[in-house]
Amino acid sequence: MDQNGLWRCEDAAVVSQQKSGPDWYRLTLRAPAIAPLVQAGQFVQVRVHPDGWIGSDPLLRRPLSVCTVHQDELTLIYRVVGRGSFILSQRQAGEGINLLGPLGRPFPLTAAEQCPLFLVGGGLGIPPLALAAKQTPGRRRTAILGARSKSYLAGAEEVAATGIPVLVITEDGSSGSTGRVTDLLAKHLGPGDQVWACGPDAMLMAVSALCDRTQASCWLSIERPMACGFGVCIGCTVARQRGGFAKTCVDGPVFRSTEVNLLG
Amino acid sequence: MGEVDLNIAVAGIPINNPVWTASGCCNYGRELGTLYPLRELGAIVVKGTSLDPWEGNPGRRVAETPSGMLNAIGLQNPGVEHLLRVELPWLEQQGATVVVNVVGHTVAEYVAVIQRLAEAGPTSVAAIELNISCPNVREGGIEFGRDPSAAAEVTRAAARVTPWPLFVKLSPNVSDIIPFARAVAEAGADALTLINTLVGMDIDLASGRPVLGNTTGGLSGPAILPVALRMVWDVTHAVRIPVVGVGGIRSGDDAVRFLLAGAQAVQVGTAIFQDPWAPIRIRDGIEAYLRAHGHRSLRSLVDAVRHRLDG
Repeated sequence: MDQNGLWRCEDAAVVSQQKSGPDWYRLTLRAPAIAPLVQAGQFVQVRVHPDGWIGSDPLLRRPLSVCTVHQDELTLIYRVVGRGSFILSQRQAGEGINLLGPLGRPFPLTAAEQCPLFLVGGGLGIPPLALAAKQTPGRRRTAILGARSKSYLAGAEEVAATGIPVLVITEDGSSGSTGRVTDLLAKHLGPGDQVWACGPDAMLMAVSALCDRTQASCWLSIERPMACGFGVCIGCTVARQRGGFAKTCVDGPVFRSTEVNLLG
Repeated sequence: MGEVDLNIAVAGIPINNPVWTASGCCNYGRELGTLYPLRELGAIVVKGTSLDPWEGNPGRRVAETPSGMLNAIGLQNPGVEHLLRVELPWLEQQGATVVVNVVGHTVAEYVAVIQRLAEAGPTSVAAIELNISCPNVREGGIEFGRDPSAAAEVTRAAARVTPWPLFVKLSPNVSDIIPFARAVAEAGADALTLINTLVGMDIDLASGRPVLGNTTGGLSGPAILPVALRMVWDVTHAVRIPVVGVGGIRSGDDAVRFLLAGAQAVQVGTAIFQDPWAPIRIRDGIEAYLRAHGHRSLRSLVDAVRHRLDG
């Protein structure tokens, strides 16, 4: 935790919440203590019940990556997958939600590299790339965004709003070209380029393999079931290639692709 | 309205309040230490410590359950040398009261960890907590916690070498916990910690397979509080050595229930994951309860309960 600097706990106010796709929501919160600290790739631990609720179920917070930050507001995009995210989806403007964050290791924003940077996102892996695009103004960036169909391109609007070139691909061809993100990436990626990817494990492994073949460097933002989110429970581990386990919450969620073994 | 005195000594360890963090729920304190001074905790029970580093379990390690969670971490820890070289000097600088939770595959390993600590003699260590109850490590831990004579054997061996008071953390995964409490008390334990997690599991509907990589895991959180409370009650009515209560505590009122059942201190674990300030809140909640019930000190409540138990 100490290597990642500041984290705060804050009762954030719901500014807006909209259902924006078949199963995903866009939640904007006023969080003046946390929002200005967030670096792309970091997440917040969200209590799904409103402030003042004293029940015990669901017990844990939900880790959600930050999609965009505007002054003291931050936007989270999440999918309803179970009870916790369903309860979160019921929160309305004006209610308070407790946040802990920002947490985790961000994308390597401070690296002074001049090589082309590809931001590659799949489905619910797209949202953190909007903040990544915003926080890398000096770099030559291209976003490659994919999903099974148009309505699952969660956060693609936010990426496009940063003004960087966006290439879209869907498995059913309902938006952009037809296929998977690696099909597009393979056409544009060259030796020495850099890729930051976020999405399901299968996509991340395919992107990582393509980067290896192309001699491009690759960073992956991964997702694992988490309890605390700040390093104490050691529950969200991912296997390290050199042996042992890393904590997704504080050693990640962004890892160099050569650091982790997603199948381990 | 005067101050309520929360000082108490448990098995000879003076602590400034009865709320400790439970092993495996605050790592080595560095994360919580960025939020508040660790001196605010009655004591910090550090991650289970083995002789050599342990990698922990592969696959998924945590799953949420109704009012609780399952874990199968597998006692991942960097070993006693790391604790001595890196963590204890830092904890000492923080002024923390440290309890070292000790794990091993064999009696000899438990003994070796304690001997190594004793040899180095870190001044921040106040007590040893023997973990004979981790449900997620087959060849160690729980093997000693499932048979009273094995529990007594490892306790006796540890008691011989420890220069610090010896706490033994018992498993709830037994048909009757009292014979275990008696066996380890007779073997030289100075105090008991109850309870560790309850063995449970979850199954994924899509794959039809167990959710956790280890198949089963330890259930913790508010769901287990009534079980823990009952076991603390049973044990404080059966043995005289002090008991530290742990299991699902997330408020001052929860903690007071354990004190009323005869515990002299409590540990807070899973509640930290949701609220890292939980131990502080719980301490303040105990203080508020004592004040509202006319106790000038924690000692006065603990003595009143002791009197009832003896009577």
